[in-house]
Amino acid sequence: MQNTNNYAALETEISRWMAAGCGGFEDRILEVHRFQRTHNPAYRDFCSGFPDPACWQEIPAVPVSAFKTADLRSFPESETIRTFETSGTTGGGPGRHHFCSLSLYEQAATQGWAGARLPAEDVVALIPDAGGAPHSSLGQMASWLVPPDRFFFNRREELLAFLEAAERAVIFGTALAFLDFFEWMNGRRIALPKGSLAVETGGYKGTRREMPKEDLYRLLQERLGLPPDSVWNEYGMTELSSQFYTNGLGRPHRAPPWARGLVVSPSTGIEVGEGETGILRLFDAANLGSVCAILTRDLAIRRGEDFELIGRDPAALPRGCSLAADELLS
Amino acid sequence: MNTADRAEALAQAAAHFPELSPPTARDMLDCVRLELGHEGILDGFQPYGGHLSRAVAPRTILHILSGNTPHAGFQTILRGLLLGSHNLVKFPSGGLGKLEDFAALLPAGLAAKLECSRQFGDGWLRRAEAWVVFGSDATVAELRAKCPPQVPFQGHGHRISLAIILEDPDLRSCALAARDASLFEQQGCLSPQVIFVEGDARRYAGVLSREMEWFASESPAPPLPLAAQAEIATARADWEFRASGDHGVRVWKGPGWTVVFEESDEFPVSPLHRFVFVKPLPEDLSACLARFSGHLGGLGIWPCTPANAARFAEAGFSRICPAGRMQDTPFTWHSDSRQNLASLVRWVDFGP
Repeated sequence: MQNTNNYAALETEISRWMAAGCGGFEDRILEVHRFQRTHNPAYRDFCSGFPDPACWQEIPAVPVSAFKTADLRSFPESETIRTFETSGTTGGGPGRHHFCSLSLYEQAATQGWAGARLPAEDVVALIPDAGGAPHSSLGQMASWLVPPDRFFFNRREELLAFLEAAERAVIFGTALAFLDFFEWMNGRRIALPKGSLAVETGGYKGTRREMPKEDLYRLLQERLGLPPDSVWNEYGMTELSSQFYTNGLGRPHRAPPWARGLVVSPSTGIEVGEGETGILRLFDAANLGSVCAILTRDLAIRRGEDFELIGRDPAALPRGCSLAADELLS
Repeated sequence: MNTADRAEALAQAAAHFPELSPPTARDMLDCVRLELGHEGILDGFQPYGGHLSRAVAPRTILHILSGNTPHAGFQTILRGLLLGSHNLVKFPSGGLGKLEDFAALLPAGLAAKLECSRQFGDGWLRRAEAWVVFGSDATVAELRAKCPPQVPFQGHGHRISLAIILEDPDLRSCALAARDASLFEQQGCLSPQVIFVEGDARRYAGVLSREMEWFASESPAPPLPLAAQAEIATARADWEFRASGDHGVRVWKGPGWTVVFEESDEFPVSPLHRFVFVKPLPEDLSACLARFSGHLGGLGIWPCTPANAARFAEAGFSRICPAGRMQDTPFTWHSDSRQNLASLVRWVDFGP
């Protein structure tokens, strides 16, 4: 990558800062913001409607839809080496997240995984690898965590054989892939050895299949012998570089030291009080190549510096007989 | 009670709901005459061609209401009682406000013909000789599948409505359009989500925003559940971001209302709750609306002339009316493009 806008220098600084424990988060993410405000034209236009932020909470957050409608690059387009795409299930085509370097993304994924105290060994994936799904950020992330011969997406018999012989297994997959595997098992049960874990992520996008988290965790216990405390949830999105983890049921997600979650009131945009619900904004200093502040579409409850994710429940929306146009698009 | 007596009693009770465009007794009898051919045809045989005919109402009608807008429920209850049927009304779990107390406003003879509940009563599905169902396409389809084939089924799915302003140099229709987009919190099937403007649509949007603000100051939006607040906040953020880099987009907003001007030919998605789009009238409106085929509701137009109505008569709407009157449906309205009394009755003929 050419160092045409100091991206590489800042990337190196951030990488060292992440490795060193991320002291002085506010100064660092404000530096990232200033860099993006300078070098990302679409974001610069957006920021022109906001004053310079005095603290990280004031960094203007772009809605996730911005990745569908705008070209959010903090580097020259010609230096793009990878573009990841969202599933595009909510209308308007997929969102696109461009990278000129995967270095910080890889560091955030591996360091975040380790920081959540997830083991680096014995990890298997129920996810297509990066070669099979080149536009999937999840596949790319998994490729840094899982050896190439441990991708078992749509290889259920081999996975079952592997699990039955394993001394320990850490299964990383989407909730949907776990369900598919359990359906294929057709009632069969195995008891994974002590120390085994499941890391579920991703949900059920575009499938019209939904299952409450409690039911999924019950199935994981029934079919694999994994109690809820041995099941982790990874909350991430294509538009970010970092991930947020929780384990078990009813516990909040925690940000890695170089990121933050902020739960804000939808009517005022100000952080809600402890235990209150609002919209989730995410701040990610590792997201250097695009925008470090994202307004998600998810609701969450503020739990100290963490957040308890409750997603978006369409059934909670008051509806009359007016057709919501996205009903036809979904 | 005969039909005229029922119409009189219903009109008196309905007058307690001025916000729902209550019909008069004459309106209701007109509807009977227009749809069934004679005002007394539910009470006895009437001349019908070379013989006599009588319309026989279902003994029991099941009405399944959904959503949170009382207008459709109000009209279907009135129709069922006007026919003289016994009416089983399943209200949505969240209720429908004071409409649930409608029976208390009726004389005993009619009140006894109205059973209302937020849960299905014992045997309701079995007893019903006709079903009237309001809800999403999925809900209507699911209930249609459960309805016995010999039982008339009247399904009312969700609809999308809009307004078209063809010539309004003085922007006189803005206040009227603001009313249409604000009433019932835009939840009704006749609530416009998009206003297409021939001419300077951006200027129209600016004036409309002032009228939305004025309407909200006179009739503030009610407090919304958090999920709806979040929908609106994210929709505003989406459009504000687009506006920051696209001069073809502009957002105006205030407490409880949002106006978005947008130039493209795409039909935008509104989260409702007084969130209305203003767009230039596309050259090919039918292409713009193609994906809503079978789901179009009302069209408000300005100026409301027969010639302008004729331009859109075959576009798929069930009602074309003046801007500002979109929510004020007459009792004779062909809701969902059908005759709603005639589709419930059966006929018996007498004579050679």
